Amino acid sequence: MNLDWHIIWEYRSDLLQGFVLTLQLSLVAIAGASLLGTLVGCLRASGGFLARRLTALYVELLRNIPIVVKLFLAHFILGIDALPAGIAALILHQSAYVADVTAAGLRSIPSGQSDAALALGLSRWRSFCLVLLPQAARAMMPPMTTQYTQIVKNSSVVMLVALQELTFMTQRIEHETFRGLEAATTATVLYAAMALAIAAAMSGVERALERRGA
Amino acid sequence: MTAAVLQQAHRPPATRAQERLWRLLLLTALLGIVWLARDLRWAEVWASAGFLLSGLATSWMLALAAISLGALAAVPLALARMHAPAGLRHAVVMLIELVRATPELLVVFWLFFGLPAVTGKAVSGWTAAVAALSVIAAAHLAEVVRGGLVSVPEGQWDAARAIGLNPRQALLRVVLPQALRNMLPALIAQLVSLFKTTSLAYVVGVVEFFRAVSIVNNAVFAPYALYLTLTAGYLLCCGLLTWCLRRLDPNYLLAS
Repeated sequence: MNLDWHIIWEYRSDLLQGFVLTLQLSLVAIAGASLLGTLVGCLRASGGFLARRLTALYVELLRNIPIVVKLFLAHFILGIDALPAGIAALILHQSAYVADVTAAGLRSIPSGQSDAALALGLSRWRSFCLVLLPQAARAMMPPMTTQYTQIVKNSSVVMLVALQELTFMTQRIEHETFRGLEAATTATVLYAAMALAIAAAMSGVERALERRGA
Repeated sequence: MTAAVLQQAHRPPATRAQERLWRLLLLTALLGIVWLARDLRWAEVWASAGFLLSGLATSWMLALAAISLGALAAVPLALARMHAPAGLRHAVVMLIELVRATPELLVVFWLFFGLPAVTGKAVSGWTAAVAALSVIAAAHLAEVVRGGLVSVPEGQWDAARAIGLNPRQALLRVVLPQALRNMLPALIAQLVSLFKTTSLAYVVGVVEFFRAVSIVNNAVFAPYALYLTLTAGYLLCCGLLTWCLRRLDPNYLLAS
């Protein structure tokens, strides 16, 4: 096979534009999924009966439907614009997994911790926020890294509603020049770089949490 | 009193009355959905039921083919990661991590463009889809297989060798079967994830469940009824697998 890398340079502005959109989508979705997922996960681990059942239903429903289906449902059936539909699909999809991680993190803390916090005179709310959640956060960091990488990866499906992100640009290059392999290689390198950046950032956060805890 | 409150902060057990109330609530919600959906264009959906079911069968076939091929490919990858010399080991780790960091959609495109460049002739959408899903499965299952192999105590290996099995027999007949049992929950979790990923195969022209629904919708335009069917189809299939998984291992964390 003969590869022509010149084409990547020719399309540099398209690729850069796609990369930036992927980055923006990912960051917004990471923030949204973290907030929503943590909230649902907290309710799931320590809410009342109804809250626990409802959040379990939320997780099961969202986890068992492919993200493309959510995306098309939001865009073509509910008629939401492509960009908000894409962001909503990304956030809803990953929030279910983040909720699972959060619930598992909270459950991993021995019940003696909450007993001790309450015995010290903290209210239930404060013991949850000041004692349980910070400890759970430390346990959650490695699986959260996976979830954030997953968000960056999943952001590629929004090309199917014609949002011009990185994967969309590889398709454009393929259609216009038949140099899909070169474009896919470039995109893969960029996605891998984003995954590495997330891993590095998260290990930094993990270290910071450990220092605070020590 | 306080003790009861403390207990409650950590997973209070559900009473039977609460369980019954929850079931009633679920049933009401389900009936509500049925009531709301009663006037949708179900006749059109029913008329294409055979086509939709064949799409669903294609999705299952894609997922099952990919998990089988992926699991087969994962064994040498896991063994290389555990026992190969440093150079090969790092290469394998790099490859696995690269695939895991690449969007599924891009992996599909990769094989669709990449396979013809290697073999010299165009590949069908089906081949590209199965190959892409298998590659994704292999990259994820390599770690699962490694975990499974590590989970079998060293003594099993020694014992198998001591009764005169050669290394190959010891691996295939003693260690792998036990590893497989420990790996089963993770394998099913991967199957759920793959089943959902089959919905991306439509981009290379495979008519699986998602594509089948879109085709029918383009022909008869019954979006609400069809998308309800689509959602219910995925929920039922993945729900069934998740239910099996929960029976095997109630504490399995699906998110990792």
